[in-house]
Amino acid sequence: MKLELRDVSYVYAPGTPFEVEALRGVSLVVEQGEVLGIVGGTGSGKSTLVQHMNLLLIPTSGDVLVDNVDARTLKKSDLRRRVGLVFQFPEAALFAPTVEEDVAFAPRQLGLGEAEVRERVIESLRAVGAGELSARSPFALSGGEKRRAAIAGVLAMKPEVLVLDEPTAGLDPATRRELLALILGLRQTGISVVLVSHDLDEVAEVADRICALHEGRVSATGTPAELFYTDPAQAPVTVRVASLLRASKPGIGTPVRFEETLQALRALQGG
Amino acid sequence: MTSRTLGQFYPVASPVHALDPRAKILAAAVFVVGLFLVDSTVGLLFVAAALVALVGVSRIPAGTFVRFMRPVLFIIALTVFFQVLFSREGSTLIAWGYFEVHTGGLRLGFFLALRILLLVSSAGLLTATTAPVALADGIEDLLSPLKRVRFPAHEVAMMMTIALRFIPTLGQEAEKIRGAQAARGADFSEGGPLRRARSLVPVLVPLTVGAFRRADELAEAMESRGYRGGEGRTRYRELIFGKGDALALIVTVLILLVGILL
Amino acid sequence: MQNPGEGTHRGGSLAVSCQKVSFSYPGSARPALSDVSFELSPGEYVGVVGPNGGGKSTLVRLLNGLLKPVSGRVLVSNHDPATEPFEVRKHLGVLFQNPENGLVAPFVEDDVAFGLENLGVPREEMQSRVAGAIRAVGLAGYERREPDTLSGGEKQRVALAGLLAVEPEILVLDEPTSMLDAAGRREVLEHLHALRSQKTVLHVTHHLEELTGADRILVLNGGELSADLEPERLLSDAELLRENRLMLPVLPRLALELGLPPAKLRTPEELAAAILAAAESGTRAR
Repeated sequence: MKLELRDVSYVYAPGTPFEVEALRGVSLVVEQGEVLGIVGGTGSGKSTLVQHMNLLLIPTSGDVLVDNVDARTLKKSDLRRRVGLVFQFPEAALFAPTVEEDVAFAPRQLGLGEAEVRERVIESLRAVGAGELSARSPFALSGGEKRRAAIAGVLAMKPEVLVLDEPTAGLDPATRRELLALILGLRQTGISVVLVSHDLDEVAEVADRICALHEGRVSATGTPAELFYTDPAQAPVTVRVASLLRASKPGIGTPVRFEETLQALRALQGG
Repeated sequence: MTSRTLGQFYPVASPVHALDPRAKILAAAVFVVGLFLVDSTVGLLFVAAALVALVGVSRIPAGTFVRFMRPVLFIIALTVFFQVLFSREGSTLIAWGYFEVHTGGLRLGFFLALRILLLVSSAGLLTATTAPVALADGIEDLLSPLKRVRFPAHEVAMMMTIALRFIPTLGQEAEKIRGAQAARGADFSEGGPLRRARSLVPVLVPLTVGAFRRADELAEAMESRGYRGGEGRTRYRELIFGKGDALALIVTVLILLVGILL
Repeated sequence: MQNPGEGTHRGGSLAVSCQKVSFSYPGSARPALSDVSFELSPGEYVGVVGPNGGGKSTLVRLLNGLLKPVSGRVLVSNHDPATEPFEVRKHLGVLFQNPENGLVAPFVEDDVAFGLENLGVPREEMQSRVAGAIRAVGLAGYERREPDTLSGGEKQRVALAGLLAVEPEILVLDEPTSMLDAAGRREVLEHLHALRSQKTVLHVTHHLEELTGADRILVLNGGELSADLEPERLLSDAELLRENRLMLPVLPRLALELGLPPAKLRTPEELAAAILAAAESGTRAR
């Protein structure tokens, strides 16, 4: 599926003294099967932006298009099934007595039969590496376990696009790495992934393309290399190190991910 | 991003805002009691005029204040409706089989409606011109004589302050949870009242569990910062009851007296 | 296993001492902390790391008296938090992980004053101390702001100001940046860094890059103190890192893989310079 935002603007509380223009003319495309990273500081509009992808928020102006069709003409429940949104700290929304009951919520809302629901629950929990947690109470789990259960709850809808708002926020580094590997693994199933993150090092490892937001506007889009090497001061550590060496050693190229950066630096050191 | 709710504090500089909260609370209490003693429409109208003047002095925009009233409009309409329906006093205006409208009914309906409006307005004016912290301090002070009979005045005030602090936070949390469940296909607008109530479970359960967790963490933080109840505590905010406050109280009593006499 | 309890005594009595402290949560099969002993000298900056569930949070709560040890003894500025928690809390302040749930009052300055109110400090004194604390965290002008209008970093700074107003000699930081974004983390660390010279600090964290300047680092795993060592040694010990589920941040990881000292190179500039130097001198990495 191709998901597109065309010139989307969004104003909070219009006409009141608390009016805020959260998004101004944002245009971006999520291509089938890619991992799109969205980066930007606090107040850049990232969270507002992702809520437009499943029309939880309706643009004040501009369009949201799903395979070139206006998303507003689609049935809400259909859209929300196809574009699965996982909020920041999603475990705050866990509510059922057991993990499997909670993960079953979305498929049940879709009106699926019990057998299918059960299958989806098992599949989704396995996909996030939380198969053994199904009978546990969501409130008794560790932070990382809760996070996985919440993501499984959205995966159970079998979305075509999975939008994750800061999926590793608040987790310890070991769990973060596991979760990122998981997200990358989802790609094999053909899902497109939109990853909102403030952690540039993380985004660098997984994104095919990046969209940078600043104060509600798109300040840059492109491949990680294109984006980060244009402004190395606001870049992942790998890029910052490599770009410092480019002046004297241009042969280093434009590595972004850890492994490729390491190779490039090793080659440099060895010479 | 929350819209101003009923009676929420509207921060602006005005003589009313500057009054001691205790004076305002007492004035509001006197006002409410006094309102029930006013038995003529003219008297009520006089009091209403005084209140309108007061709202003006408080520099709260008329529009905002009127918006405060919206939740109450339904009750007012209901009250008027029943009065009109069941009163048989005065001359008949409309007769429609069993359904009759009399001037007496209209007059009584108007009177009651005005009184409700004034009651809500005075409470709204109090909370709109008094910061939540000041309100809690004022209440704590006024209730403190009761400490002698073991009334937990400090604890009540502390609970109020904390509740006031967390209302916007819980509101944001509720919004977020609603969004998360909607993203999973929850529909809060479908079906009859029973169905809708049930659809709120995925929001209320995590909100409540979250609130308890918050309370735990908050209690730990408070204890860690040396909190151990009201004993030996001093207060950062100072409440000074001055001439202006006494004057405000006297003026309130006078207005009501005039209203009662009219 | 390293020898626990080694520390540099910079003179005088200890800020904190734990002697064979053990603790179990009621109903739990295995102890949260067993036989933990260590010392903090005044002015030291000590990190605490380890996997989740390893006992770090329990330790924090034993230090300020929220929990009482099942066996062993804790001393903070020569007071026992188990018997004199109120006294200890004048000397030891804790900055918790969740910026939201530590803020009690509807306005910033009232919240900063909370600790002072609890101590019964007279009003006139409170006003100057609150103002000073707010300035110290760079939030002058924020006095009448409400908590829900603040960013995560700002909330943590308010919490920090609340601690500083009480003027404790010891600060315990329980993962203070883990719920913040990059900008918030930077803000908070900046102000924490400025305090290092004035306070004794115990910094619990998962982010090893926050501890490169520490005097030493304690490793808590499974309730036991498995190591007490300098940052340099910890960052270079791949085995130890793996055993304790510790991840090296990108910069030290690059350094280590390139055979350069991870704890000495703290910025991209330093690493780049070191790489160039190695390339120039033609020395091949090990």
